[in-house]
Amino acid sequence: MSAPLPRVIRIALAGNPNSGKTTLFNALTGAHHKVGNYPGVTVEKREGSRVRGGRSFRFVDLPGTYSLTAYSLDEVVARDFILDEKPDVIVDVLDSTNLDRNLYLCLQFQEFGIPVVGALNMTDEAAAKGIEIDAENLGRVLGIPMVKTVGPRGTGIEELLDAVEARLEAPDEEPRMPGYGAELEAGIDRLRSLLASDPAFAARHPCRWLAVKLLEKDEHAARIAAGHPRGAEIEEAARESVRWIEGHFGKDSEIVVSEQRYGYIRGAVRETVRVIRKPNFSRTEAADKVIMHPLLALPVFAAVLWSVFQLTFLIGEYPMGWLETFFGWLARIVESALPGGLLKSLVVDGILGGVGGVFSFVPLIVILFFLLSLLEDVGYMSRAAFATDKLLHTFGLHGQSILPMMLGFGCSVPAILAARTLKSRRDRVATILTIPFMSCGAKLPVYVLLAGAFFPDDAANMVMLIYAIGVALSLASSLFLHNTVLRGEPTPFVLELPPYRAPTLRGVLWHVWEKSWQYAKKAGTVILAASVLIWALTTFPVREPAPGEADRRAAEYAADHPGAPPEEAAAWAEISRATSDLEYSAAGRIGKFIEPAFRPLGFDWKVGVATLTGFAAKEVVVSTLGVLYRTGLEETEESGTLKGALRADPGFSPRTAFVLMLLTLILPPCFASLAMIRAELGWGWLGFVVVYFLALGWGIGFAVNQIGSLAGFG
Amino acid sequence: MRLSEARIGQEFEILAVRIAREVGRRLADMGFTEGARGRVIRGGAFRGPLQVRIRDYDILLRRCEAAGIEVLPLGDLPAEGTVGPDFGFRFRGFRRRGSDGRGRREGGGRGFRGALGACGDREGPAAREGGS
Repeated sequence: MSAPLPRVIRIALAGNPNSGKTTLFNALTGAHHKVGNYPGVTVEKREGSRVRGGRSFRFVDLPGTYSLTAYSLDEVVARDFILDEKPDVIVDVLDSTNLDRNLYLCLQFQEFGIPVVGALNMTDEAAAKGIEIDAENLGRVLGIPMVKTVGPRGTGIEELLDAVEARLEAPDEEPRMPGYGAELEAGIDRLRSLLASDPAFAARHPCRWLAVKLLEKDEHAARIAAGHPRGAEIEEAARESVRWIEGHFGKDSEIVVSEQRYGYIRGAVRETVRVIRKPNFSRTEAADKVIMHPLLALPVFAAVLWSVFQLTFLIGEYPMGWLETFFGWLARIVESALPGGLLKSLVVDGILGGVGGVFSFVPLIVILFFLLSLLEDVGYMSRAAFATDKLLHTFGLHGQSILPMMLGFGCSVPAILAARTLKSRRDRVATILTIPFMSCGAKLPVYVLLAGAFFPDDAANMVMLIYAIGVALSLASSLFLHNTVLRGEPTPFVLELPPYRAPTLRGVLWHVWEKSWQYAKKAGTVILAASVLIWALTTFPVREPAPGEADRRAAEYAADHPGAPPEEAAAWAEISRATSDLEYSAAGRIGKFIEPAFRPLGFDWKVGVATLTGFAAKEVVVSTLGVLYRTGLEETEESGTLKGALRADPGFSPRTAFVLMLLTLILPPCFASLAMIRAELGWGWLGFVVVYFLALGWGIGFAVNQIGSLAGFG
Repeated sequence: MRLSEARIGQEFEILAVRIAREVGRRLADMGFTEGARGRVIRGGAFRGPLQVRIRDYDILLRRCEAAGIEVLPLGDLPAEGTVGPDFGFRFRGFRRRGSDGRGRREGGGRGFRGALGACGDREGPAAREGGS
């Protein structure tokens, strides 16, 4: 092998959403990529590379956008990446079946003065639709080399790289720019020459792009122009041009700019694209007759959702069982390998118990993500948004809030992540604030225990009722927040409806891998920390048992239960010791300290402790109660003893059980979810979530308990 | 007429986008520009979003955004089915009442402000624009 050329080409991969960009990115980079975030924002950044002939093509996948205004975070990220990083080439992925709108973005990239290469993607679909594109001619007309590609099959990849190399080897003397017609060009030209009058400024900023943006009244561009030595003069000139354009055309200048851009595209497309027959929407159309039928859309959506959850739990049951068995086996190995004492307790109860519990959820998450990615890649998610937008909009949410909300029934962590599909921060916050109300999988065991103990005849209905209350509260809370802290309009609902497309297995699997890994990493680390913390709180300070305590307890038990076998008395003594230990520990003391807060709700310190440990993971509430009610260390929701013990406690009644179910539903979510909220929204909103849900949970618990007791409910 | 008043299957040509700046800009970016032609495909129940085909692709938008798009109807009006299939295509009386209510909400007039108020919230884009 000859020495490789020490040459790296940095390429930004851009394009509209639904243009097959991600599939093409995967085809271009193979397995060599990593996922991160753009600095300071929660927009995913994929990077990957391909080596050919000793040359490394380094790709950065820009977020899919329709334009480059400040309309969404994605657009800002894409624009800033181009301006700050100045890639060598921009490869713009175009959906060939919809060239007008796709070229609209492409031309905006051209204005940056960075070489652009167009990938005419989905040419197979275009051909099937009867659209014939003269790629070479189109490229010549626009000054952007065009290469036909088919992402899923990897067609045209080599040609695309050839075009990138050719573009860099033979740069244009005078780069071609989209024309805006004589009226606008005069203004653009004047602003451009003013901006270019300072060579230092012109070297840093693309002047023609700035000139166009100033006519579009873009605030970001205005800020950049203000840094020019002749900033005031430029501002005045821009204002004058805008005024003239608005007077001349009788509409906003930014609308004029975009109309002229579409006009320019129309001209180029008319010359080079032939539509042999009318575009055929028949297959998508036939499916949408049912799926998007005004009256059927919601029932269809409900059915799809129901199937997804059924399938997830049906398939997930097996790997979950295996993982539980595996962690149980691991715990036994560790238990027999380590000497007794604190270290063993930390590893077995703290780490393996906590993290193992989370990892047994991973299969569920993976399957849920697989099914939802499949629906997304097929094109169903836009339809689901269509079906639910009216309902959600009434409550200050957005049609696209539906996916995160539904994921919330599985686990809040991926649900909070999924809220990234919402483009405005306001909508993202509003959506994330609904997620804790969606009863996640970990809350279910708590409901099942309490409903089974106190509502034995209507247990299933009670659980359903709690789920329903959660959904109702989420909507009511959204409406309340919409009128208070989250004022302002939800973003307009303007959403592309892509035709149904066959998903590629590789694309879906890649999605699943990415999302699951993020989940496992986040949940794994936070849960590990939380488990250790809760373990420490429930263990320290260590109580030194009084001499002969165990014997004394066993003797007491034997005295109370004459005729009981000695093993039973010994077991009782052991559980009794664990209870005293817990009461003595920091968690027990905190529970007693916060007891005054739980009193008005009808509870003593035991529920306080259980609720506290529930922040590690909600299902822990059950095992903590098991310890506190001395029924056994290995408590599960099915076992009858804890139910019996709770029923026997005079402090518990159907009323207080219902209140505890409400508390489990409403109090702030587990640490992993809180950490996710902090990562997505920052400390401020995290604080708000904690205070809001504490106040709401306590308030509702208080109201229900007091009103219930006044009304005479036991 | 406004796009929100068009019937299902109605073909149209866009005359102007009259809606608050940010949304209007987005609609223009998505291809709603003067002279562009399109067709209303369907509308969601209870005056849910519209599905509109423009520039050979389909887009969903709320009726309050559609109310800010002035269109010229092309060809014959489709005989059956309005864009308000809030059961309205069966129960004529129901639909009429619905459309009356709509008129009130949109503030009656065809002017700029009237179209903006159509989103039905206290703080419509018009109010915001007035404030800035």
